[in-house]
Amino acid sequence: MALFQSVFAMLYQFGDTFAFLVISCAGLAVIFGMMGVINLAHGEFIMCGAYVTASAARGGLPLPLAILTGALVAGAVGMVVERLVIRHLYQRPLDSIIATWGISLIATQGVLIVLGSTMQGIGTPLGSIDVGGRSYSLYRLVLMACALGLLGGLYLLFYHSRFGVIARATIQKPQMAYALGVNTGRMYGLTFGLGAALAGLAGGLYAPTMTMVPTMGATFIVESFVTVVVGGADIFVGAAPAAAILALIKAGLTAWYGQLFGQIGLLVTVILVIRILPGGLSGWLKGTTR
Amino acid sequence: MTISKTSSGSRARTFLTRLEGPQTMGRGPAFWIAVTVAAAAAAAYPLIADAWTVGNAAYFLIWTFMAMGLSVIWGYAGVLSFGQTAFFGLAGYAYGVITLNLGAAYGLTILALVLAVVIGGLFALVIGYFMFYGRIQGVFIGIVTLSVTLVLETFMAQTAGPQWRIGEARLNGFNGMSGMPPLTLPWFGGDIVLYPGPSLYYLLLGLVVVSYLGLRIMLNSRFGNVLVAIRENPHRVAMLGYDVRLYQTLAFAIGGAFAALSGALYTAWGQYITPSSMGLTSAALPIVWVAVGGRRDITATLIGTIIVLAGFQMLTIYGSQYALIVMGGLLLVTVLVAPQGLVVGAMTLLGRIFRRGKS
Amino acid sequence: MTEILKVHGLRKAFGGVVVANGIDFSLSAGAMHCLIGPNGAGKSSFFRLLLGEHTPDAGTITFDGSDITGLRSFQRIRRGISVKFQVPGIFKALSVRQNLEVAFQEHRHGQSLSATVREMLDFTDLRGEDKTPAGILSHGQQQWLEIAMAVGVEPKLLLLDEPTAGMSPDETRKTGEMLHDLNSRGITILAVEHDMAFVEQIARRVTVLHFGSIFAEGTIAEIIDHPGVQEIYLGAADD
Repeated sequence: MALFQSVFAMLYQFGDTFAFLVISCAGLAVIFGMMGVINLAHGEFIMCGAYVTASAARGGLPLPLAILTGALVAGAVGMVVERLVIRHLYQRPLDSIIATWGISLIATQGVLIVLGSTMQGIGTPLGSIDVGGRSYSLYRLVLMACALGLLGGLYLLFYHSRFGVIARATIQKPQMAYALGVNTGRMYGLTFGLGAALAGLAGGLYAPTMTMVPTMGATFIVESFVTVVVGGADIFVGAAPAAAILALIKAGLTAWYGQLFGQIGLLVTVILVIRILPGGLSGWLKGTTR
Repeated sequence: MTISKTSSGSRARTFLTRLEGPQTMGRGPAFWIAVTVAAAAAAAYPLIADAWTVGNAAYFLIWTFMAMGLSVIWGYAGVLSFGQTAFFGLAGYAYGVITLNLGAAYGLTILALVLAVVIGGLFALVIGYFMFYGRIQGVFIGIVTLSVTLVLETFMAQTAGPQWRIGEARLNGFNGMSGMPPLTLPWFGGDIVLYPGPSLYYLLLGLVVVSYLGLRIMLNSRFGNVLVAIRENPHRVAMLGYDVRLYQTLAFAIGGAFAALSGALYTAWGQYITPSSMGLTSAALPIVWVAVGGRRDITATLIGTIIVLAGFQMLTIYGSQYALIVMGGLLLVTVLVAPQGLVVGAMTLLGRIFRRGKS
Repeated sequence: MTEILKVHGLRKAFGGVVVANGIDFSLSAGAMHCLIGPNGAGKSSFFRLLLGEHTPDAGTITFDGSDITGLRSFQRIRRGISVKFQVPGIFKALSVRQNLEVAFQEHRHGQSLSATVREMLDFTDLRGEDKTPAGILSHGQQQWLEIAMAVGVEPKLLLLDEPTAGMSPDETRKTGEMLHDLNSRGITILAVEHDMAFVEQIARRVTVLHFGSIFAEGTIAEIIDHPGVQEIYLGAADD
């Protein structure tokens, strides 16, 4: 029984970290993988989703609908940002990263001024279950299911839908796609919007578990960066296994040595991975065929 | 490698001619007269301003080293580093830990300053080694450097417990370290303590002038030639027999050492350092200064940094969150409207008007 | 005559695509040699293998008497292999003078460097253009600038990947003269080229590459009359 107990505790820890990495990096990975742009306002889209979700939930909307609203609002904001700023910088991807940092500063401080330094949060729903004398949050188990659902959904979207096929074609051969009559500008707009919406979804899903402050996006950003770096440029091949490996390392180190070593372990992993596998996991996995 | 048989005198002359060159804007007597006037005006400033204002001006000068270092890395070598604050913060903490343990007597604060810069520079060298020898490129360098500084911030923020001490120095977690001595020069008949005020200001001004001129010489030297060539076409540079990774790593270490100089001086100036000096917002600010000024020119970076810092402080009267919004807006406008930088734009315009006036 | 370059059993495959299928090749010092072959014959890959940009699966490369198979690109360049790529690889935002300085500064300093830069400006017919940003030179001028830069590393062997691509007949002829000039200064030249008139102008011997292997080698007349060579070129044209 004691064995089962500790195995469950480990699995729970692993699943929780895995879910966090997958959910928080999805939006960043879609925008980076599809457009080559590192969205430094990623954390602020997460914050946007969380704030909208919390407001909507306190306004009486059921939580799942509130989360959906949060994602949609973040997505809409993302499309506006793409239209106003990113679209003018496609020829200069490095400059577009700098621009998203400017947006990040404006968004964090703007929210601070308008809504104050903190917002009333919403409690974690669903309570907890008891396994072998220790209690585990049921909502976090739901988040694990959501992470798997998200991976499946993205896979279906990019590999088995018209949007996905056109999007991948646009990324691989923009001129060709353009020549074939694809509205590449609109594809980039939709992709950026999708990435922002996924960030908003992350914010919405984690809103019930976090303190609502304008800088809450920063909590997600290191983990999402690290996952994208380890995963490499191809998010579908790289991000999920990267999240799994990193979750294993972080959960293991956290369980044995505490929170801090979990985080240091992540950074060391990243440094080792970039030294050994410059293209990240996806580069390595695909490199065996090249 | 052949060694030219020039006399030391002519070698010194060659050295000085590198103050001007294709990698730096500004040449000829008019430019150098302007530089001398600016330096003289800066030197005369404490005569007309009160001590508090001078201490404040010293604060501006502190940041210019980090900005110039970023200009070398980003503008000249073409490597987008988002994590200069990692070296800044590490050196700041290093200065704190060393001085709290050694004290301020016998000029040991100066030794601490030097050690802090060396530690920051070495850390940059190691990070640079892993990145460039691991063939990390482009945006990934931005992510890795930013991750490094954010993880350092998180690390320092959780050192609140009493077990986190190095000798006499408690790291103090989120609240940061404080109470370390300012720079202290040993002098006959009593040490000179450089509190924020004219004496510290003059030391910093001297350092800025030396760094600026030294960087001009370096950037117009063979090393600088190779750096800008790498920015333009790294493949071709490798095919001319240069070890591109080595040059990038060295440039990154030099830029990191300058950030470390800022960090150690900042800690000595304010006698405190906190983890948030390595956070996301702090990391964004050097990018703003250098981008707005003009990252591809050291003079533009220097001028832009001081102007933006002064503007930032004026806005802080209305609240620092407003000032940060303006910084974000400035960054957006620069990227969208004048990607080469606002100061570079202005300098090019001035040069054109000046030349037209002469002919 | 001594061999400057000797390649033995060089193999490289990307997945199922074999770009070098056991190449045996040697080049004597002072030669002017052309490498021809239909598209996809493996000419550019062969260059990349020589330059260390691809690591071979098998085989050895001996240059100037020592094995360089395990060396990195920049180390090979320092041993005396230089290259001019098909697409001009110059520093477009830098001035012509700076381009030349970066190329020559490892071996020359001070007065000697400025003298060499002047000489190279003459050699490339770019006198008076030394302050021009290299990116706004004409296509032919950019190619010449890059040839001059490739000389800067004091090479024993100069590799040229289609040096006359996109040039007018006049420019092509002048390029040929430049290469003869360099060869007379003792630089061995190996060029990939499509333009047979140019091949005739510069090469004494020609090697034909096909499907990653040496298909034929000989004087230019022998190669033109070679029935198999005509066939592979015609065959390639059918694709």
